[in-house]
Amino acid sequence: MRRAPTWPRHAIMVAVCTLMLIPFYWVVKTSLTGENIYAYPPRILPQDPHLFSYVDVWYLIPFTRYLLNSLIVTAMAICGNLLFNTAAGYALTKDFPAKRWVILLFLSCMLIPFQATIIPAYLITSWLGVLNTHLGIALPLLSTIICIFVFKASFEAVPKSLIDAARIDGLSEWRIVVRIMLPLSKPAIATNVILTFIWSWNAFMWPLIVTRTADMQTLPLGLARFLSVMENTTGALYAFVVMVLVPGLAIFLMAQKEFIRGLTSGATKG
Amino acid sequence: MQHQASWLHRKRTRDVALVACFLLPALTIFFLYRILPLGWNLWLSFHTWSPLKPAKWIGLEHYEEMLLDDDVFWQALTNTLIFIGASPLAIAAALGIALLVNSDLRGASVYRTIVFTSYPLMTVAVGIIWRWLYDERGGFINYVLRSSGVVDEPVKFLQSFDLALACVILAEFWQVLGFFMIILLTGLQSIPQHLYEAARVDGVPPVARFFRITLPLLRPSIFLCIVVGILNSFTSFDLVYVMTNGGPGHATELLITYIYKSGFGQTRFDYAAALTVVQFLLLIVLTWLANRLSGGNAGAMER
Amino acid sequence: MSAGIDWRAMVRHRFFYVPVALAILTAGWNAYVAAYDDGLIEGEVHDAAGKPIPGATVIFFERNFVNYQEKFRATTDAAGRFRFTDMQVHIGQLEARVEDGRRSERFQMNLWFRSQNVQLPPLVLGSPRA
Repeated sequence: MRRAPTWPRHAIMVAVCTLMLIPFYWVVKTSLTGENIYAYPPRILPQDPHLFSYVDVWYLIPFTRYLLNSLIVTAMAICGNLLFNTAAGYALTKDFPAKRWVILLFLSCMLIPFQATIIPAYLITSWLGVLNTHLGIALPLLSTIICIFVFKASFEAVPKSLIDAARIDGLSEWRIVVRIMLPLSKPAIATNVILTFIWSWNAFMWPLIVTRTADMQTLPLGLARFLSVMENTTGALYAFVVMVLVPGLAIFLMAQKEFIRGLTSGATKG
Repeated sequence: MQHQASWLHRKRTRDVALVACFLLPALTIFFLYRILPLGWNLWLSFHTWSPLKPAKWIGLEHYEEMLLDDDVFWQALTNTLIFIGASPLAIAAALGIALLVNSDLRGASVYRTIVFTSYPLMTVAVGIIWRWLYDERGGFINYVLRSSGVVDEPVKFLQSFDLALACVILAEFWQVLGFFMIILLTGLQSIPQHLYEAARVDGVPPVARFFRITLPLLRPSIFLCIVVGILNSFTSFDLVYVMTNGGPGHATELLITYIYKSGFGQTRFDYAAALTVVQFLLLIVLTWLANRLSGGNAGAMER
Repeated sequence: MSAGIDWRAMVRHRFFYVPVALAILTAGWNAYVAAYDDGLIEGEVHDAAGKPIPGATVIFFERNFVNYQEKFRATTDAAGRFRFTDMQVHIGQLEARVEDGRRSERFQMNLWFRSQNVQLPPLVLGSPRA
């Protein structure tokens, strides 16, 4: 059977990928160029490329401050997620009265998008007294339903014999989770970590609402703030964009498989 | 017998107490930040309230103001619907890419990664990137249009009343295309091959194979993409905030940006709560509609 | 019952060596910066023929938003060399002047980090202004 030639498919895919990559290239080119970025016509290649725009941005904006805030919030979110989701996932593997209602409750919470809750969430955070703190930013992100079900599925795959043997050995429930089930659920942990990282690292609207002072702002907020500060003719803003994107991209490229698995496990569940 | 029953009773309550303990943290977070806000929004939308004054019941006044007096609301609603209505285009494009990448093409995983790279980026950064692409002076799109002779003057994309929303939608497409592709790919790969074999043996042409086998079995994935497309119109706050901030003159105002402006710009929390209720209802209605159009049961097929 | 940690496999895993490599790079860069951040800016002033000029005035312009404004002055010694100390900048412009009116071109100085020690290329005086 003759196979259809593959070069048309390659050609289309190369064209599509070029289109997808052009925005990246244009921004990187602008951050490297040594000329006035508003001069027309813009050149395809950077003229007199230099990296000093990056040095400039480093001293112009409190990049380390923003980075630190983002890191602290993300670390809190990841720790909270691992703790709470593991516990909830394990609890859902057991049988208890009203289990069906609890699962229904979780699933219906999935239907409520974050944007439908911002006003009261702000009021609750302010009532709790954690406005403008790292905890306040991280609090709504401390647990995600998709990850609970990922853990539940992973825990249910653990053979019952192992659990029973551990119970006979006298391990408490929490120890069972930590010593037996978690080591066997490494993919679920990786998925949870990477999903939580991406969501809390990129979060913009919630930190925008919760932070009141400039020194609490996270990276996306810093980026948006810099946008309005100055329109200069060097590529400083775009150097800032590249600097902000590099950590996220690096982590994504490192953990692609887990990220995609996490997204699609939520999908096939639905 | 009495002793055994009470021992069982104690163990059972211990079990239930343990389960409750384990569920408590996650449930607290969801209660605080999902369920309670939903109810609070509803309650708040029927009262006037400002942080300094106590709440007063006013019934449907906010809704009256919204539906009858507020032009910005109707503009925002229209824009949101246009936004949602444009997502089938992105889904179709993603389907095309998924089909191309699904076959055993050499380097398919590289193509997949490249197309998907735009998704995990910060939406704020995506907004800034596209703002620069649309710029009249240094932007790539104007450069291409002018040097190929299509237009003579630079087109002010983000300041044009007609084009601004389309520009924001295009930026959104760029970001979400990879996500749709992954979802559809997963769906494609779960279609059992023997169906195709049987069809080929029966002499069914490829186009008909696509429409009779692939599309129906992809319905759950397509349904998910549609739901994500609906949700994206709500989460696109970041994009609009950075690219146009609702301008020019509310041409790109989405419901979510209007909610933000009412709640945190004008500090009208009660009105913003009413807007949120309307937005949530819109979400429910559209999701239900999409469910019905995909044949119910989230698109899953009976075997 | 639970598996022990396999160190060798863990080190080869990308989740380990990528962050560790990044940490090492960051530490190395910080060490380099710490070694060279005394804020010394040194250079020479030559005339058009390449002869060093003693006694010339070198002006350092610091950046103020979009302009450069004069901030410091130094004089070249007998060998035509000048030096600014304790500089806390990463960007600036320099110009050399002599009493008979000759000036050098403005030299744009971009450094890699604040207070970097740097040896500039010679500032060449142009012809006297009419």
